[in-house]
Amino acid sequence: MNGYVEAGYVVVLGTLSAYSATLVVRERAARMRLGSVSRAAATKAPARGTPGGVGEDAGLEVEGPIGEDGLKAPESSP
Amino acid sequence: MSAPRGKTQLGTSALALRVLGVVAVAGVVATVWLGLFVTPPDEFMGNLVRLLYVHPPMAWVAFLAFGVASLSSVLYLWPRTRAEHFDRLAGASAEVGLVFTGLTLVSGSIWGRPTWGAWWVWDPLLTTTALLFVLYLGYVALRRVPGEFHVRARRSAIAALIAFVDVPVVYFSVEWWRSLHQAPTVLNPTTHKTYVHGSMAWTLLLGFVSFTLVYIWLVAHRYRLAEMQDREDDEGLEVALAERRAEASV
Amino acid sequence: MLRDAALVAGKDLRIELRSRVGLNQVGPFAIAVLLLFGLALGPDRAVLAPASAGLFWVAVLLSTLLAVQRSYAIESADAARDGLRLSGLDPAGIFLGKAGAVAAQLLVLEVALTIGVALLYGAHLSGAVVLVAACVTGTVGLAAVGTLYGVVASGLRTRETLLPLLFLPVVAPVLLGATKAWNEALAGTPGRAGTWLDVLVVFAVLYIAIGTVAFGPLLEDG
Repeated sequence: MNGYVEAGYVVVLGTLSAYSATLVVRERAARMRLGSVSRAAATKAPARGTPGGVGEDAGLEVEGPIGEDGLKAPESSP
Repeated sequence: MSAPRGKTQLGTSALALRVLGVVAVAGVVATVWLGLFVTPPDEFMGNLVRLLYVHPPMAWVAFLAFGVASLSSVLYLWPRTRAEHFDRLAGASAEVGLVFTGLTLVSGSIWGRPTWGAWWVWDPLLTTTALLFVLYLGYVALRRVPGEFHVRARRSAIAALIAFVDVPVVYFSVEWWRSLHQAPTVLNPTTHKTYVHGSMAWTLLLGFVSFTLVYIWLVAHRYRLAEMQDREDDEGLEVALAERRAEASV
Repeated sequence: MLRDAALVAGKDLRIELRSRVGLNQVGPFAIAVLLLFGLALGPDRAVLAPASAGLFWVAVLLSTLLAVQRSYAIESADAARDGLRLSGLDPAGIFLGKAGAVAAQLLVLEVALTIGVALLYGAHLSGAVVLVAACVTGTVGLAAVGTLYGVVASGLRTRETLLPLLFLPVVAPVLLGATKAWNEALAGTPGRAGTWLDVLVVFAVLYIAIGTVAFGPLLEDG
């Protein structure tokens, strides 16, 4: 009988942990990709202000390694 | 350079989320410890009662997640409350709900095998949960179909509404179906009730609370992931547009 | 709205009369399903006859998928779907029209399937009123949900696999209710089918209501 109890707990806790782990990993990956895309956007759009006006929601602040500083005009002149 | 930690649309800072995560894990650990070691075996079910500290919370969260996804979808569809965050919340809650629904079925099955002698019984709650699982799968599959944000959001929300209306009808019909075949057994599969008292009751309550906190934590993270994916799509679009303009000006 | 519905239904049914796809393809498919069930469950009528109602309705459910796919396939030629959107017809009317056409075709199919079930499984047809009532109310519900999900799926590339996944779980109550109602009728106790018919009616009303409201936005999005 006890085998069933252990199995139940292992399955439940194991699945939830695995799912949490995949979420965290996917988030990290998305954050890094977001960083590189923002960099690309900044270098390719010299005369713009802060991009992200398309997808910006009210009250949303930029998160991640770029922050709000990385979206200025590039250093190199055209 | 370290970035300022941002806020999500849900208004929870990353710190609050960390705290929530820690509390949730602590609660789950406590539940497991109490459930496995501290509480006594049941007089009828023996040690199998320990699974009842986990299975009902799974079911509760499964249906809670479903309710949140449905309510969120309705709020998205209603013009006055339409906002992107409701669609994202629906999607996040649905995916997390899918996981919990699957766990409800598995934990119920594991409990059922030694109790009723079968891995599956057509009991109204289990059958409705199984159908809920497939409904979730359809909804998640629909969300995966690429498209413009509001188009995808609207059709997903309508699909959620269709599913939401369906669940009570399903439950009622299955219950009526099963009540016609009532087998007189001591451990009636249609009731999940057992007399809980003392430490068992507290452990059960702790289980409900802890797994609800886990649900909230998971939804918050899933929501943030969706947000970042949407931003990535938008900024990818920005890059493409900027490239086009650069080409034109050469 | 009802006039637009009649217009659209008439158009769909006329296309069917001319192309006879329902007759030539969906019908034979349903008969094939009945035959395959017979093969699967063995030649013993003692096994098949009690299962007739369930097998009948599963065949109807699967045929609904085909009928709905067909209903939208006729719109995909020559950008007819855009024409439908821009035609100025009331979208609720379009919904009722398309669902009505699908329901009509299914009802005709069900007549053939009833004969098939009596013939192949040895079902004793009794309680005709309940049989017909279940068919009508069940079919309306199926057509409503099918048409609603059909417009969602028709604009997508994965429509062939998405539609069944979306449709079948939702119509589980119809399968349950209609089968049980038929069982009571076939068993000679049609009086006991009352609650099941109620379930079918509630389902049909609910999804007709949702369909009339939700169809418009979904049509535009495609």
